[in-house]
Amino acid sequence: MTTTAQLIPPRTPVKSFYFNTSAHLLRITTGKANTLSEFLVALQLCPDDSIFQHTFRTLQEHHFIREGFSNDFAHWALAACNEPGLAEQLASVDVREFTTLAELRGRFVEIVENHLQLNPADGPRPAEETFYFCASDIVVLPTKFVAGTMQEFVNGLREVSVHSIHHHFIEARLRIKLMSNDFSQWLHEDVGLTDTARALNRIDIYTATLEDVRKQIVRIVERSLA
Amino acid sequence: MPDVAGSGAEESMKLPGATDTQSAHILPVERIEREGAPQRGPETPERRATPRSWETPPAPVPAPHLEDYQSIIGGADIDELRFLARDLRGKTIKMVNSTAVGGGVAEMLNRLVPLLGGLEVVTHWDVITGGNDFFEVTKAFHNALHGAPYELRPSAREIFLSYNEQNRQRMQFTEDLIVIHDPQPAALIASRNSNEKEGTARWVWRCHIDLSNPNPQVWGLLRPFIEQFDAAIFSSQSFARQLPIPQYLFYPCIDPLSEKNKDLDESFVQKVCDEFGVDRSRPIVTQVSRFDRLKDPVGVVQAFKLARKYVDCQLVLAGGGASDDPEGAVVLQEVKEAVGDDPDVIILDLPPWCALEINALQRASTIVVQKSIREGFGLTVTEALWKGKPTIAGAVGGIPNQIIHKLTGMLVHSVEGCAYQIRYLLTHSEFAAQLGRNGREHVKENFLITTNVRRWLLLLHLLLRK
Repeated sequence: MTTTAQLIPPRTPVKSFYFNTSAHLLRITTGKANTLSEFLVALQLCPDDSIFQHTFRTLQEHHFIREGFSNDFAHWALAACNEPGLAEQLASVDVREFTTLAELRGRFVEIVENHLQLNPADGPRPAEETFYFCASDIVVLPTKFVAGTMQEFVNGLREVSVHSIHHHFIEARLRIKLMSNDFSQWLHEDVGLTDTARALNRIDIYTATLEDVRKQIVRIVERSLA
Repeated sequence: MPDVAGSGAEESMKLPGATDTQSAHILPVERIEREGAPQRGPETPERRATPRSWETPPAPVPAPHLEDYQSIIGGADIDELRFLARDLRGKTIKMVNSTAVGGGVAEMLNRLVPLLGGLEVVTHWDVITGGNDFFEVTKAFHNALHGAPYELRPSAREIFLSYNEQNRQRMQFTEDLIVIHDPQPAALIASRNSNEKEGTARWVWRCHIDLSNPNPQVWGLLRPFIEQFDAAIFSSQSFARQLPIPQYLFYPCIDPLSEKNKDLDESFVQKVCDEFGVDRSRPIVTQVSRFDRLKDPVGVVQAFKLARKYVDCQLVLAGGGASDDPEGAVVLQEVKEAVGDDPDVIILDLPPWCALEINALQRASTIVVQKSIREGFGLTVTEALWKGKPTIAGAVGGIPNQIIHKLTGMLVHSVEGCAYQIRYLLTHSEFAAQLGRNGREHVKENFLITTNVRRWLLLLHLLLRK
């Protein structure tokens, strides 16, 4: 199949793409929950850093898993509370649909509140394990990869760590406040490969490992240069 | 009784000085030739019947350099460590603990200090001194902080404080980051306002023990000191306390280049199995741990016997502690009684310096089990996961941090559950292999020493920019 993107000739980017990465340190907060009711309260009160840690960041920590791991809240609901229905709902929350942590928190709170309204007996039932709310302290770092050409961009995509892929492709939406990512923004604004930029946004991060995601990004970008 | 090695006529071998309790089912261990040593011929019953002598512990292997890890974690991750360290060049760290040899903390510092130094973050390591009375008191504190009953007497408090004060007078604290490991030197924090970098140095308390249920008297003594630190570090979320200072999570870690974890030649793995009578043509289920009731070795034997009704397999229980720990000898006897005359169970009472042999046994295993009833972090689980082994473990202590049920391993809560998972994994090899692959990646991401180097650099960044 011929796509519009394939018809676009390679071009020189207006601006270089600087590959960065982020490193995270896990901080233990005072929030914890032994029941779903306690969990709901802590979910409402915990810092934004905690929402980030248990969703965006945990996705990075478990980047090698293709199936069955979406966020820590869903995992706890299943493994410690034995609530598969609630776990499915929590797991279905796609972090890419949110550009702020407040919105993301709101969605989780809504799901748990609805569950407890429908199943009030679940609220005080003790979980098998405590949920400890953690948070992420972040340091952003440069890498040695800078792309002034499309070939250098592809080389950078191949060589950077998966942490850098996560930084630009998944975490980025919280920074740029758009339903997009750094790669797509650059391809659209500075290279003019709008279809390629859109194609990247359709990659499913929940059914692929981050290495798989990297390969798909490279494949899509290379296809646009063919 | 049949010989547990399953090789027929030979009798069990004994260590010089071993007690009779070790003779029936235990295969005492001779040190296997190491890499580079002359190769021996195939094992024969005659040779194996000959008592063997122990070697002394091997000389320590030189610590690896950061570049040596590149083939394991990749060049990009090594680069990230260098970028993290670049802005910290010239900064200094002092690590303080209570022992230079033996124990997990000293072992970790032996590897960590040179790696940080290689990144030009000069790291000094000081060890506090004390008399027997001090270490008796701090040992009692250690047990009390784990929840053991203890009454804190004024004399113990005085001993603790006076030795800390002696060390404080003796030591200098001129580094940018001072890291105090565990409770023994915690009162050194009194120096924070008297060092040359007053107001700029950061002090961190690294607690390696489980503080989830501490003795209130001992914690009451320590807490005022701990609250003066800039941050505390724990090994598990559940070990932390309610404190007014930031608390960070640093998982314990393994060194993938240590003798316990480095890649081994297949020929060496085979040689170890031959020496110990392990038949590699049949599935091998292994638990590596001290002969300690908290590791539930009897439960492992029971689970194995239940599983073997349906699947052919052998059980290897490789541990230590039976020769230098009276309770260990009792537990070993209990294990022997549970085993009975079963020829498919091989019990190995190994000395502490058999890291290569443990490594080989783990690599030869089809499944690794760690059916602990109580656990700290469970580094034997980390070791098994790193070797890509499908792992079944008790859902206690730090094990659930490592084993995500059905994704990186299988968590169990009972003998029956353990037996079922042994059967399942032995009959679903592709699922078992996927667990092994995921488990190794999980360790690579979270539990290697290079990850902890990253954590220390990050902590330095975060504390110094405040």
